[in-house]
Amino acid sequence: MQRSGRLAATLLSFVIFALFVAVWHVATLPTGGAPVADSEYSKLVGSAAASGQKSAMPSPKDVALKLWEHVKDPFFVRGTNDQGIGIQIAYSIGRVLLGFSLAALVAIPLGFVIGMSPLLYRAFDPFIQVLKPISPLAWMPLALFTIKDSATSSIFVIFICSLWPMLINTAFGVSAVRREWLNVARTLEVSPLRKAFLVVLPAAAPTIMTGMRISVGIAWLVIVAAEMLVGGTGIGYFVWNEWNNLSISNILCAILLIGLVGMLLDQILARLACAVSYPE
Amino acid sequence: MSGFKNPYDPNIKLSSGCGCGGHSTQAEHDAAAESARFDSGSEALQSRVVESAVMRALFPQDELRRRFLRAVGAGTALSAISTFFPLGMAKEAFAQVGKLEKQSVKIGFIPITCATPIIMSLPMGFYSRQGLNVDVVKTAGWAVIRDKTLNKEYDAAHMLSPMPLAISLGAGSNPIPYVVPAIENINGQAITLSVKHKDKRDPKQWKGFKFAVPFDYSMHNYLLRYYLAEHGLDPDRDVQIRSVPPPEMVANLRADNIDGFLAPDPVNQRAVYDGVGFIHMLTKEMWEGHPCCAFAASKEFITNNPNTYRALLRAIVDATAFAAKPENRKQIAEAIAPANFLNQPVTVVEQVLTGSYADGLGNVLKVPNRIDFDPFPWNSFAVWIMTQMKRWGQIKGNIDYAKVAREVFLATDAAKMMKEAGLKPPATTSKKFSVMGKEFDPAKPDDYIASFAIKRA
Amino acid sequence: MGAEFLKVEGLSKSFAVARGGPPLVVFDEVNFAIEKGEFVCIIGHSGCGKSTILNILAGLDEASGGVVIMDGREVAGPSLDRGVVFQGHALMPWLTARKNVEFAVRSRWPDARRATIDEICDRYLTMVGLAGAADKKPAELSGGMKQRVGIARAFSISPKMLLLDEPFGALDALTRGVIQDELLKICAATGQTVFMITHDVDEAILLADKIMLMSNGPGARIAEIVVNTLPRDRSRHTIHKDPQYYAIRNHLVDFLVSRSKVFTEQPPAGFDPLHPPLVTPGLPAAETRLALGAHR
Repeated sequence: MQRSGRLAATLLSFVIFALFVAVWHVATLPTGGAPVADSEYSKLVGSAAASGQKSAMPSPKDVALKLWEHVKDPFFVRGTNDQGIGIQIAYSIGRVLLGFSLAALVAIPLGFVIGMSPLLYRAFDPFIQVLKPISPLAWMPLALFTIKDSATSSIFVIFICSLWPMLINTAFGVSAVRREWLNVARTLEVSPLRKAFLVVLPAAAPTIMTGMRISVGIAWLVIVAAEMLVGGTGIGYFVWNEWNNLSISNILCAILLIGLVGMLLDQILARLACAVSYPE
Repeated sequence: MSGFKNPYDPNIKLSSGCGCGGHSTQAEHDAAAESARFDSGSEALQSRVVESAVMRALFPQDELRRRFLRAVGAGTALSAISTFFPLGMAKEAFAQVGKLEKQSVKIGFIPITCATPIIMSLPMGFYSRQGLNVDVVKTAGWAVIRDKTLNKEYDAAHMLSPMPLAISLGAGSNPIPYVVPAIENINGQAITLSVKHKDKRDPKQWKGFKFAVPFDYSMHNYLLRYYLAEHGLDPDRDVQIRSVPPPEMVANLRADNIDGFLAPDPVNQRAVYDGVGFIHMLTKEMWEGHPCCAFAASKEFITNNPNTYRALLRAIVDATAFAAKPENRKQIAEAIAPANFLNQPVTVVEQVLTGSYADGLGNVLKVPNRIDFDPFPWNSFAVWIMTQMKRWGQIKGNIDYAKVAREVFLATDAAKMMKEAGLKPPATTSKKFSVMGKEFDPAKPDDYIASFAIKRA
Repeated sequence: MGAEFLKVEGLSKSFAVARGGPPLVVFDEVNFAIEKGEFVCIIGHSGCGKSTILNILAGLDEASGGVVIMDGREVAGPSLDRGVVFQGHALMPWLTARKNVEFAVRSRWPDARRATIDEICDRYLTMVGLAGAADKKPAELSGGMKQRVGIARAFSISPKMLLLDEPFGALDALTRGVIQDELLKICAATGQTVFMITHDVDEAILLADKIMLMSNGPGARIAEIVVNTLPRDRSRHTIHKDPQYYAIRNHLVDFLVSRSKVFTEQPPAGFDPLHPPLVTPGLPAAETRLALGAHR
């Protein structure tokens, strides 16, 4: 029953995909326009403009071919500004992981301390509440101005955007550890350090992991935007560079890959979350 | 360029403005020159520069030198000259002067054809010919390029020529002394309108239009405002002018968010290529020979790295001279169109550079100097730009126009390099010119501002 | 039996309700004593402060007034001397049954060798009949099994006193009976001193040597202490056949249903909170004094 249900779901997924591609294909079929008679002129303009139209959305076939082109040779380096899509994604992932790890190193211990102390919780709360809703990209000019290095700035932006969900979730998870577990630890005269690592940490781990999962999702969203802003390398730069070239096929390929990598990152953390979660 | 030719080769002209003229195809020459350069290394290169200089000094007339060389042979000539002219010492002196403080240089650029000299110098070897190891880095926008240059991530950058003035004056940022040792390009911009406005060719019909320009501190902004104001439209009240990064312009035009733009190429040509816009007019029709983008660096960089700066400037001036020749344009288009640089279809870049282009209305126009290249940073350009900044309220108060112009637009340095490159720099650093038929006298900037009916000052 | 092992004197707990207003007194002048090896239950309605008393004994809560002296020393804060079985099982769900017990054992003997720790864990898990389920996580165990792990954990540290906070409240009747039997057996075997809260009159009669009755709060007191005169080798299956059983049961139910409400406002004449009366409803009136003498 369950097996056939899964099969049906997979089948339905394929049908939805096929339908989507079919609609896309039909929508991007060339429509008749008045072709430009002058052959000299038509040589100078794009195929769409030559047939008297605006350039159209690429068809699914165009995008598939482009994607194959990228997947076939993802790691070429043809110059500072022209590198394979695999390299660009690696740059982005590298930045996300670095900024995210730094944020985790700060947010989890800090969140722990804040969560353990109601006084600190209340004292930090206004700052967190004000800083949290700031779009990470708003930090970019400030980061560029103070850090004076664009690569570090984009890592800083990732850092700052991954910080809050982890900090808030850690503090919340720690402060919400069931009283009875703490009481067990108290009646057993457990030392504070042992209590922190053996009771509070595992108790709050699922909440902390949820924060990490939210963070990595946000970080991945932000890196694309940050790289579009700062340029240089990364999948965001790739999108920007292809936008510059108005190459919608390339942008669609990048969008697809961004989605896949985002899903992958989320899945990895979901696995980790699964490992530390506990049913009650 | 000519400085690198073997001066003892009787088949080579040394005194021509740009030595390349004497060759059947430039590509052949460049390839040969490049491989030779790699083989011989920069020391041999410098020797050759010195020898060239000496030969030129001895035989100001090319024909004479050739006859001399043919008569005695290159080897004999060399030893003969060595006996009475201390070539070794001269070479040494040059080498010392030419010792680069910084060999690896990063230059930021925005992917538009204005950056042609900066970009082409990499694939075409103008930088390496100066012993420089340059990386040109594509950058997302003007504010980012400014910040990255201020951060010293870039040693030098492609900027809109008003930007170094604005930075130096502290408009829109803290004042930091910036310099323009060379102008990248002249002309090369256009007003493009959406195809739906095919019939509205008279600017008087443009009331309520939304226009885009690449940056507030850009020639594009000032030229568009000038053009509109000359046609009686107040650019702040009758239309909307937005600052939109060039890559977004065509997309916005397509989406009907804007009615047109005054933009750098290849944006205009790309709008035509994609069938969303037509070229209303080229900016050269407003002001023949107006500057657009600049090669800029911080004063700090050029003070601390005088030789690297000189080498860079020489490369840019050489490249600009090369690009100024119409017959080289096709080749340049192929060199700068790939994804690593402009990332545009070759035909689009070619139409911009060669000036044979589709106008978006079904005509093929031929305007060879649609874009042109002249490195000389006329101080009067800087003064004109400042009058417009003041006219539209971007800067306030009294300005010593001449002083700022002199400090930012380094006309003397450029003149020196142009001379070395075998170009003829102008004798003065300031000139009168006219914009849409109205004369501008750089000596009387305030009178000029006062003469406009529409202004914010 | 021995001298007073645990002594509670003048214990009270009050909360500030409103700013400046009089504090709410939950209980007041609570005095009682527990002898070594004694099993004491406390019965009373919700809100009378039973759990607070237990928490104060455990050192998890602080009294507003009065002292608790155990083994000659005042109780201040939690201690490994007192094992607690919590109302909810309070097992750490990320640890297996064995690891939960091991956590306690390691806390008690931090320097013990692995083998020793394993041996202790095995012993107590076997004692509660969970040797086979030792490596299961709490979520895989039934409610009764979880509570057994809790009991094993509390016993594993060999506390001087065991505090049970209504440990079987959430279990179904059948399971509850089985565990009660086990607890009775273990306590008999180990001579453990126990203080337990319950709502269940039958449970109290089955397990306790003495049953303390608490009047309703606020201002709750220990109204009287019922001595369980049933033979100590009683079992769940035969207990209701003993004639004393109903007498004691009726006495307790009567207190809970009617007397507990009025007791706080109108304590019977001669009531001295310092010495709550000892009663033996299981014995005929004539035998009362004799029985009391035996217990004292």
